Amino acid sequence: MTGWNGMWLVTKREIRERARTKGFLISSILTVVLITAAIVLPTVAGDAAETHRIGSLGAGNEAIVTAAAEVAAAEVADQPAEEADGFEIFNFSSREEAALALQAGEVEVVLIDGESVLVATEGFGGTPLVGTLQQAAGAVRLQELVASNEEAASVIDVLSRDPLAVTTLAGEDSAAAERGTIAYGGLILMYIAVLSYGNAALTGVTEEKNNRVVEVLLATLKPWQLLGGKVLGIGLLGLAQFAATVIVAFVALRATNALELPDLDASIVGVLVLWFVLGFSIFSVLYAAAGALASRPEEAQSASLPMTMIAVLAFFLSFGVLSNPDSTLSRIVTFIPFTAPFVVPVRNALGALTLVEHVLAVIVTVLAIILLIRVAARIYSGGLLSIGRRVKLREAWRGTN
Amino acid sequence: MLSIKGLRKTYGDVVALDDCTFRAEPGRMLGFLGPNGAGKTTAMRAVFGLVEQDAGTITWRDAPIGFEQRQRFGYMPETRGLYPKMRIHDQLVYLGRLHGMSARAAGDEAEALLATFGLSERTRDPLEKLSHGNQQRVQLAAALINRPELLVLDEPFSGLDPIGVETMGQVLRERARDGAAVVFSSHQLDLVEDLCEDVAIIRQGYIVRQGEVDQIKDASPVRHLELELADGDVRQLGELSDRVVEQVGNRYRLMVPADLDIRPLMSGALATGQVRRFIYTTPSLSEIFLEAVA
Repeated sequence: MTGWNGMWLVTKREIRERARTKGFLISSILTVVLITAAIVLPTVAGDAAETHRIGSLGAGNEAIVTAAAEVAAAEVADQPAEEADGFEIFNFSSREEAALALQAGEVEVVLIDGESVLVATEGFGGTPLVGTLQQAAGAVRLQELVASNEEAASVIDVLSRDPLAVTTLAGEDSAAAERGTIAYGGLILMYIAVLSYGNAALTGVTEEKNNRVVEVLLATLKPWQLLGGKVLGIGLLGLAQFAATVIVAFVALRATNALELPDLDASIVGVLVLWFVLGFSIFSVLYAAAGALASRPEEAQSASLPMTMIAVLAFFLSFGVLSNPDSTLSRIVTFIPFTAPFVVPVRNALGALTLVEHVLAVIVTVLAIILLIRVAARIYSGGLLSIGRRVKLREAWRGTN
Repeated sequence: MLSIKGLRKTYGDVVALDDCTFRAEPGRMLGFLGPNGAGKTTAMRAVFGLVEQDAGTITWRDAPIGFEQRQRFGYMPETRGLYPKMRIHDQLVYLGRLHGMSARAAGDEAEALLATFGLSERTRDPLEKLSHGNQQRVQLAAALINRPELLVLDEPFSGLDPIGVETMGQVLRERARDGAAVVFSSHQLDLVEDLCEDVAIIRQGYIVRQGEVDQIKDASPVRHLELELADGDVRQLGELSDRVVEQVGNRYRLMVPADLDIRPLMSGALATGQVRRFIYTTPSLSEIFLEAVA
């Protein structure tokens, strides 16, 4: 039997025994049900009608707003109990004036010359209001085309793209913002996954010590096999559960249109998945190392505090990167294994990452994972037979048992 | 043959093993005896690489012990433990697989072992649903699953009822008869005397006696003499009357030097016609043990 075989046996046992527990089944079902309910229920209940405040600069905006009111009315046409959203126009004479009002929140968007729409910031996938305005502008264009007997090609041209260009106050290009939004969404998902499943790795590695089966196992397994197999098993199962949850949420969102989802760019999603797995792995191993120091689950919790701090810190660092992807700090944290999984997908999405940097970051992180498994295994074997008490890091490292 | 030579292990200032040397032969059972804290568990763990010795060598069939060898060993540690929520059959198969067995072979062996221990009806039960004694049986089955060439068991009999002791003793004897080297530690010296051909007695990390049980007993400088006299008059024993160590009614127990010629004494005592019982034996293993570790 080779080393990998031994590890794989541990992994298989882990997945089989965990998937068999009632707790796992209940939590899986509950998560899916809750997520679906959280997404579907609000759309069934319906939104209350509100009055949108639209800024207007230049000519040609009124027709769009009028059309927008018709679009809004059409949306609730089959729900007689509900009222359609209203629209109110505020005229501005200069772009500065309009920008100030937008910043202050006096208006939600500013239409400019019937050609573009200025928003304060790009929300998650844009706001429903912008969507309504786009539809309205499209309708207005079509009416114009029909009135002027234009060729069919122009009609197709109008239909195939958003009629209004979206700009934000900062002036950033909305496609980049959309990519940033995807990266940002991925970031949050990873953060949630790390925190919820890191704990499973943490308490999981104390299991063998706690029920004292470890001595029997280590008579035939090497510590890295046991540790690696456990982390892999817990990780794969966690990933599967998490993926199922995300897919259910995604499908529910698509079906209900509760949130306007950005179009997914394959390369960006690919990078996101790669770094999700890398990030998940490195934090799982980190949590497992903390667990190796403890002999009981309660102790593991306190040993894990520094790991949670690292995850939180990396998460917040990535916000800085989101707004400033080219800064020196952003470059540095690209090559730190614990922050890279949070930072690299964001920089990649914003186009601030070179291929060389990207490859280097992957290598650094993978090496760190391998190194961490070895360190964790050493701590694990060192602290192993001191069952029933917490092991000091230095003792475990030296292997005094 | 398991050969442990010059094993030394210290924990800070505490010397756990000090030039510990003994052997265990295939086809035989070795009782590993010693007071609490004498180093038995440390020595047994060292065989499985669970303790790194400071000095000394451990070999199996003249080769250093590595992963390959340990695949063919069986171990029942002092700190018992298996997965409480895992079905007992599954645990045995898992441990068999870890020892390099195919799923089928491990499955067959697990069933056979559980049948031996009378647990055929419980194969799908998680371990925690079993009684303490049955859990211990499963623990032994875990050590036996790979049909080991070397079996090392740390206090396998502790906590078992007499029936459990009997079954476990039989199973171990069978394994020894099939050619396995069996090493186990125990404080139940009568049991060791019944089961084992060989013993090793450890005291403060050092082996003070090692060899065949009978030889060690023969080598003792004392013998026991037990007499029952009809009239209870000890004066008939003549000079031996000072060697009486215990008297219960008409029964006397005496300790005599091994080199004392008892034949004249025997004929003299018999001549009085008062002797109902006359037993002359080597000391029990318990006595050898107490004397060795004193």
